[in-house]
Amino acid sequence: MKKLLAFLSCVALAASTFAVDIGKPAPDFTATDINGKPVKLSDYASKIVVLESYNSDCPYCHNHYATGAAQELQAQLAAKGVVWLLVDSVNAANSSHRTPVQARQEWASFKIKATAWLDDTSGKIGHLYDMKTTPHLFVIAKDGTLAYQGAMDDRAESEGDPRTAHNFVRAAVDSLLAGQPVAVTQTKPYGCGVHYAE
Amino acid sequence: MRRFIIVLLASLVLGLSPARAAHTHVTLLLAADTARPGDTVLAGVELQMDPGWHTYWQNPGESGIPTQIKWNLPPGVTAGDIQWPLPHKLPPAEVTTYGYVDDVMLVVPLKLAADLKPGQPLTLEADLTWLECQDQCIPGKTNVTTTLNLGPQNQPSTNAALITAWQQKVPAPVNPAEWSLHATWETPAQGDTRPLILDGQYLGAQDKPLAISAVDLFPAASDNFEIQPAIDLVPTSAGHFRLRKTVKKFSGDWPAAVAGVMVLGTSTGPANYEIQLAVADVPASSTAVAAGTQTPPAIPPSDAPTTSLALMMLYAFIGGLILNIMPCVLPVIALKILGFVGEARSQPRRVRLLGLTYAVGVLVSFLVMASVVIGIKAAGHQAGWGIQFGNPIFVVSLTTLVLLVALNLFGLFEVNLGGRAMDSASQLTLKHGYSGAFFNGVLATALATPCTAPYLSYALGFAFSQSAAVILLIFFMVGLGLAAPYVALSWNPAWLKYLPKPGAWMEKFKIAMGFPMLLTMVWLFNLAAGTYGSQVLWLGIFLVLVAFAAWIYGEFVQRGRSHHTLARVVAAALVIGGYVWFLEGQLHWRDALKLDGSAVSRKDGPDGIDWGEWTPEAVLAARQAGHPVLVDFTADWCLTCQVNKKTSIEIPSVRAKLKELNAVALLADYTHAPDNITAELTRHGRAGVPLVLLFPKDTAAAPIVLPEVLTPGIVLSALDRAAN
Repeated sequence: MKKLLAFLSCVALAASTFAVDIGKPAPDFTATDINGKPVKLSDYASKIVVLESYNSDCPYCHNHYATGAAQELQAQLAAKGVVWLLVDSVNAANSSHRTPVQARQEWASFKIKATAWLDDTSGKIGHLYDMKTTPHLFVIAKDGTLAYQGAMDDRAESEGDPRTAHNFVRAAVDSLLAGQPVAVTQTKPYGCGVHYAE
Repeated sequence: MRRFIIVLLASLVLGLSPARAAHTHVTLLLAADTARPGDTVLAGVELQMDPGWHTYWQNPGESGIPTQIKWNLPPGVTAGDIQWPLPHKLPPAEVTTYGYVDDVMLVVPLKLAADLKPGQPLTLEADLTWLECQDQCIPGKTNVTTTLNLGPQNQPSTNAALITAWQQKVPAPVNPAEWSLHATWETPAQGDTRPLILDGQYLGAQDKPLAISAVDLFPAASDNFEIQPAIDLVPTSAGHFRLRKTVKKFSGDWPAAVAGVMVLGTSTGPANYEIQLAVADVPASSTAVAAGTQTPPAIPPSDAPTTSLALMMLYAFIGGLILNIMPCVLPVIALKILGFVGEARSQPRRVRLLGLTYAVGVLVSFLVMASVVIGIKAAGHQAGWGIQFGNPIFVVSLTTLVLLVALNLFGLFEVNLGGRAMDSASQLTLKHGYSGAFFNGVLATALATPCTAPYLSYALGFAFSQSAAVILLIFFMVGLGLAAPYVALSWNPAWLKYLPKPGAWMEKFKIAMGFPMLLTMVWLFNLAAGTYGSQVLWLGIFLVLVAFAAWIYGEFVQRGRSHHTLARVVAAALVIGGYVWFLEGQLHWRDALKLDGSAVSRKDGPDGIDWGEWTPEAVLAARQAGHPVLVDFTADWCLTCQVNKKTSIEIPSVRAKLKELNAVALLADYTHAPDNITAELTRHGRAGVPLVLLFPKDTAAAPIVLPEVLTPGIVLSALDRAAN
């Protein structure tokens, strides 16, 4: 019996790690954004979608927004028809949790240029994609398969200008738009751990 | 309402700048108040965290950032690497990290140059950056300073005991005599993940079996892959563990080696060791099992160690077999075949016995070598294949011996080890009595060691880290391989029918074989030159005297009709006089002259590769400066190394490639087998040279280990891989 349990948990573990594989279909999800609007990943079929695990209290995430580098990239990609979804998986008891009101204020003060900020307090999307850190990024191609997952760029710093770094998300999106294979498909994400609900 | 305002204010502040670090207090301590120039002083950087907060280890795990120390030190003071105490594995399971709670002290050795002048106290300063986390994470940054006096005496500070206590929490490298460790891919890759099996066998006191209750590997940091934190312990017998870890690859090739800290819970308490293991490929026996998509987690207790032992024994045997055709051994073997020709037809029984005697000679020599290796290991030293060539006494004795063998082949004198002095060509074959055959076996073994054949290095690398019984077994197999062709031929003399009939040609052949022997002597002489420098002249004069004495002995004692006693006295006087006067008096042959000038003549001509001297620090420094690094572990006595260098390293295409990639080339000279190089070889699973490593410029990436025998193509393509 113990062996069976061990086997099942191993399979479950394997299944969870294999949930998001490069080149495989990205799992669909539904969520509510901070304006109360329902969002479904499959609504954006035939568009390139960027998912970002987000928590601006994390200095690594914060720096991308405080410097305006993330908003700049979001605006540039939006102009090319790319959808950018922020996934906030911080649990409700954590001091970094944002109520919809707080989130809307932060959205305005940071001048965030993403498509939507998704409330993932339950951690459902975060676990589905095995999001490890803030920031942790995923790029989904137009055909719905995962094209990139990992760090925002090759500069794991909480200060200074991120524009000096090589941005993996920009590179992946540019390759997809040009019909080229994505050169770097996976990197180790950096930053703070996602503060999931227990 | 008040809460709402606070949150509102907080979020406004957050919009402007991240919160200031206030939960970690940093102090810089020194183990000494006063130190002498040339001393190494331990510095302790203590981080005290508020309750609930933590900072990170060198590999933070799935999130977090390691604490960094940037030293600002006065000239003459250099900081070593951070020595990290064992961290805690921190929850939650979905984002596991390695870090410190409450407090930690990062220990850093500070080396004072010997030419520092006492005077003003030295000001030591460090900039620290870290990430502290609780419910949220805050980056921290501070500057700490302290002073150190220089004086004639080392005066420990009041903090010395505290720093030493923390240093004892730094995992020490694993002792290969205590643990036999292996890393193996369990199955081929499944997408980006691959199961890795770590096998550990406790080799310590066998009377009390060690119960292992918990095992984990805290991996070293790496950019290209990640060893995931989940543990899957496969049940095995006492004193043995088998840990399955999942490796997730981000980019590049699957790692060829894994490193980190092995963390154990045992019946004698917790234990942790720093380890670095080469990852072996999927074991042949389990590929069939692994062919399915899902491997059941409970695989039967390992038969892998036995399989790999059997495989290593096979490698050892094949390696021994190949040794027969190595240039250093071939003349001896040729002589033996010569010996067959005469006797095979008339005395088959005697030939068989001689064959066995030769085999016994080989095996006894190998077992003696194995005992020496076990002895060296038991004394706590590092042992490696071929280290005896770093010993001047061995080199001089062998040079003299090889010269005598050559002169004997030339017919200058005869050897009557068999108890009968023979001097005619017709009796040549009988001359090699049983003791002659035994001696030939010993000689073949002595000459074989510089030629580490392919296959052999794997087997020996394996053997040197094993228990005494396994070392004996592997050495025995090598000896068996070396002796096998001769024994087989002596058992089936029919195979010899393809050889020409005995006759006068044999005498000519014997003389011809003297020349490769002479060549071997020249090579050994060159080796001695590496030890004695220009003083090697005295050894040359001694060798000429020995040769002269050998001729007098052969001509006047063995073949002469009268004045035997006078000839004996003259020959003995020449040898003894030469020894006392030149070897002892002039050369001081038993004290190897350590030549410091070894780094001077590293460059092979004006276009040659500009070799630097290998140290682990030099490798790291070059990689941190963005250079890929080529390290050639070599020795003057290692023929394979010299051949590799001539054919595949010091060649125009590789030189150009190194320049183009801005690569740094480092040479690790194993001629005198220094302990630090032996340790480095062991880390890469080798018992001796050759070993060529290519370190990618990315400091976290594992080095590329090149095969034993190189071609330009192998080196060039590996350089390309290291540059990317």
